[in-house]
Amino acid sequence: MLSSVNPSVKAMTILIPGVLLAFMFDIFTPLAYLIFTVAMTFILSDIPVKRYLAIFSPFIIVALGFSWMTMLYTSDRFAGGEIVFSFLWFDITEGAIITAVSLGIRSLCIVALSLMFVLTTDSTKFMLSLMQQAKLPPKLTFGILAGYRFLPTFRHEFEVLRQAHRIRGVGRAKGIRGRIRQFRRYSIPLMANAIRKAERVAIAMESKGFTGSTGRTHYHEMKVGRKDWMFFSAFVTAFFAVVFASYLFGYLNIFGYQF
Amino acid sequence: MKRNQRKDDIQPLVDVSSFSFGFEEKEAPVLNDLSFNIQRGETVLLMGPSGSGKSTLALCLNRLYPAAVEGWTKGTIRFKGSDTASYRDGELNQQIGVVFQDPESQFCMITVENELAFTLENLHTPRGEMDGRMEEVLEATGMTEYRYRNIHELSGGEKQKIALASVLLLNPDLLILDEPTANLDPASRKMFIDLISRLKEDWNMSVLVIEHQLDDWVEQTDRVLAVNSEGRLFLEGAPDSVFYDRFQELKAEGIHLPKVVKTAVENGIPGRPLSEADLVSGRVPDPAASEHKSPAMPGSSGTILSLNQVAFSRKKKSVLKDVSLEIRQGEFLAIAGENGAGKSTLLQLMAGLLKPSSGSRTFLDKAFEKWDEKDLRRQLGFVFQNPEHQFITDTVYDEITFGMKLNGAGEPVMEQRAKELMTKFHLSGKKYSNPFSLSGGQKRRLSVASMLDDTPELLLFDEPTFGQDARTTDELMKIISSLQQSGTAVVFVTHDMDLVDRYCERVCVISSGTIAFSGSPDKLWNRPDLVAGARLRLPFRARIQQAVKGEKPHAVVR
Amino acid sequence: MSNRLTEFKEMLNSWKLKEIVLMSLLGVVFAVIYLMFYFFGMGLTNVLTPFGLAPFGYEIIFGIWFIVSIVAAYIIRKPGAALVSETIAATVQVLLGSPAGPRLIISGIIQGLGAEVAFAATRWKNYTLSVLVLAGVSAAVFSFVWGWFISGFAALSPGLVVAMFIVRCLSGALLAGLLGKYVSDQLANTGVLRGYALGKERQNKREKKSA
Repeated sequence: MLSSVNPSVKAMTILIPGVLLAFMFDIFTPLAYLIFTVAMTFILSDIPVKRYLAIFSPFIIVALGFSWMTMLYTSDRFAGGEIVFSFLWFDITEGAIITAVSLGIRSLCIVALSLMFVLTTDSTKFMLSLMQQAKLPPKLTFGILAGYRFLPTFRHEFEVLRQAHRIRGVGRAKGIRGRIRQFRRYSIPLMANAIRKAERVAIAMESKGFTGSTGRTHYHEMKVGRKDWMFFSAFVTAFFAVVFASYLFGYLNIFGYQF
Repeated sequence: MKRNQRKDDIQPLVDVSSFSFGFEEKEAPVLNDLSFNIQRGETVLLMGPSGSGKSTLALCLNRLYPAAVEGWTKGTIRFKGSDTASYRDGELNQQIGVVFQDPESQFCMITVENELAFTLENLHTPRGEMDGRMEEVLEATGMTEYRYRNIHELSGGEKQKIALASVLLLNPDLLILDEPTANLDPASRKMFIDLISRLKEDWNMSVLVIEHQLDDWVEQTDRVLAVNSEGRLFLEGAPDSVFYDRFQELKAEGIHLPKVVKTAVENGIPGRPLSEADLVSGRVPDPAASEHKSPAMPGSSGTILSLNQVAFSRKKKSVLKDVSLEIRQGEFLAIAGENGAGKSTLLQLMAGLLKPSSGSRTFLDKAFEKWDEKDLRRQLGFVFQNPEHQFITDTVYDEITFGMKLNGAGEPVMEQRAKELMTKFHLSGKKYSNPFSLSGGQKRRLSVASMLDDTPELLLFDEPTFGQDARTTDELMKIISSLQQSGTAVVFVTHDMDLVDRYCERVCVISSGTIAFSGSPDKLWNRPDLVAGARLRLPFRARIQQAVKGEKPHAVVR
Repeated sequence: MSNRLTEFKEMLNSWKLKEIVLMSLLGVVFAVIYLMFYFFGMGLTNVLTPFGLAPFGYEIIFGIWFIVSIVAAYIIRKPGAALVSETIAATVQVLLGSPAGPRLIISGIIQGLGAEVAFAATRWKNYTLSVLVLAGVSAAVFSFVWGWFISGFAALSPGLVVAMFIVRCLSGALLAGLLGKYVSDQLANTGVLRGYALGKERQNKREKKSA
């Protein structure tokens, strides 16, 4: 079901709560919406739980790191309340903990929204939909797709480079200078090849009659239907419902102002 | 559709008159005062040495040049009677189809289906007709079952057929083939050429073939054009008269003549044969004598590398199982096999770049695990398919001396050795050039030279001649054999059985993860089952020999 | 608004398809290369975690995200190169399955705008090192403001925010501006850029030298 939602609508749908969440500094709002998003992801698609967790779990660690930093260095405006515990020379207050956990969960919520998009959207269809619904010029649409196609090529080339450098006796780089030299050794051949390929692909595309004009027929007609708008309104409505509930329960906190 | 049927019939499809093209105002033109035409239904073969602007001409014909490169032109090219400059953007491209050399960079979509759709959309084909058109071209190219596949998973030969299929969608009046088989293995190459000869009649196309590897094309050619290194047209005519009357002239221009013609001229075979079948009916005395140059075994000596029941899996998929192989000192071994058979994997296992999942490996009587990486690399060189992957410095000199520097050699020693190597590999004038800025052949030679700071016991090559023109291939093979003559063992992966036939004393065929054959090339040629199973093509010499003996002339498998 | 749109379309028409494909390919190449830096950042993060400074591990390498716009602007030298290339690179990352999702495209546009502003200030005439470094810093500033909003830096103590800001600007200056110029110059030396502004500039210089 999720994979059949129009990609442009889907992208817009997750952008709205994604941006609005940035205003919320309480725990309840992002947590409730995180639960909603993950639940909807599993209800509306058949992504294996294991695969989802494998992709999702590293972000928990990142979120923890961010929360931990926030907890230690909360700004005065957010660091109200009792001191809960002390660590090294830091005093951690109740307000700091709430803010830190909120920001951590917020970042996870955004990851969950993004994953819902990324795991259920076909890249080609996303671009085609951007062209057909969001009026992205064909020149950009197919130009981007043409580059994207080369991912496996460059991944493979990267591996070969690694081997070739080993043969030449260059091991893993150490220090900043070594890093930069290593960066150069990888990027020059990859980029040189990218430039040649870009020229060839562009010529090949044009030789098949591609002019970049918007007047073209579409093999995959990307449509926006009732189902797409239902999906959109469900996610946006749910967001405001969560915010409203948060307000009723007295949790809602927008940029440090309690409501 | 064709309004001026009568007019179309009398005027040439393409009419080029005094046409010149250059990239920069100040530089010499790449194409120099060309005049020729292409008639409807005709197949024209355009040949010339590397760098003679052949590919540039293809792009001038469909008017992508000069706009794409901001170059300049003089003279006119007419297509169906009208100046190509007067066509609207894209209009010409929808009537002229081009298949390019590099199978990797002709597509912009992930799947075959979407790639075909891309072309149809460019043509404004109504959506309802797309399906039928796709089926039609896929069937024509024999690729029906590949419709939903990802393009990047296909082999080079399959990619080129998809490139051809998408060009057929244009229903082109003119099909331009710009070295379409240069990056293919010989078996796929032959298949592609045969496909063209079948299709051009049915699709009613004129064909312009741009090539320097002429074999197999000649038999279906109506007319031959030859350009020289200054971009001038210097020969034009029917294939038999061009090849046989102007044999010396072509040779002097550095154009590689078809093997059939060479064999016929060198053996004084009458009848001006252009195909292998004609050559054979002209009764070749003994083609073996002229071509076969497999070197004699240098005195048998010890084993330097051995693999013992080695197996390798990637992502739980078995690539190689139970491979045992010994490399003897100073031997010349080729590894052949189908795409994806595990040839490169085997080579990487020999180089110690990969670890086997089971089995043992020793090099110079010492297990691989016990080798110090630095010492190992001095004794064992590896030349990658793409030379650029190996370049890690800014100049040719630094590149050659890099290994010596790592090993702590002094400046005078390095200077001396680098000088020797640069002379031997014809790189003397390029001491301070950037490795990436060298020509294809120079890059190739540099990549070998950079492995020779010490004299290694073993040199491994991963398809060193892949995508190289005939001259570079010859040069490289000469260098490799001279290294082998001086005592270094050489192992190389290749699809090219002509090379194997000429240079190798032993060949291993990898098939379904094991060594299916190991022995002399001559023995392999007499095993059609193996040759077929590994999708190899017999070398020219063996094909002729077997045909003379009255056996099946083409042992190529579909 | 529609005026802007037609302006954008005109700009796009002056672009060659090969330049657009190139920007997309650079996005792919740097997506692959970024892996190298990602692990580098991981190592740093581990050291910094106990002090609550884990996110600094990423701040230090943040500049590498802007390198595409610097490289593209420096090589192609057309108005919009920095903006379009960064946006394309971000879009490619989304297609590659970046867990940041479509929001990354917005980040890309903002970062690209940041770099573009610096080039626009010179009317797209000056591509010297100082301008490139400035563009890197400018991209860092833009991205930081966006990050401040979206990641909730408002809740962090001002001292820390300033420190993060400085680190990101430095990273933008070095990893985007300086490294971007260095890599592009090295690339120009290989001769593959003959068809682009940077390559042509090189050619002219060489001709003047030899004349």
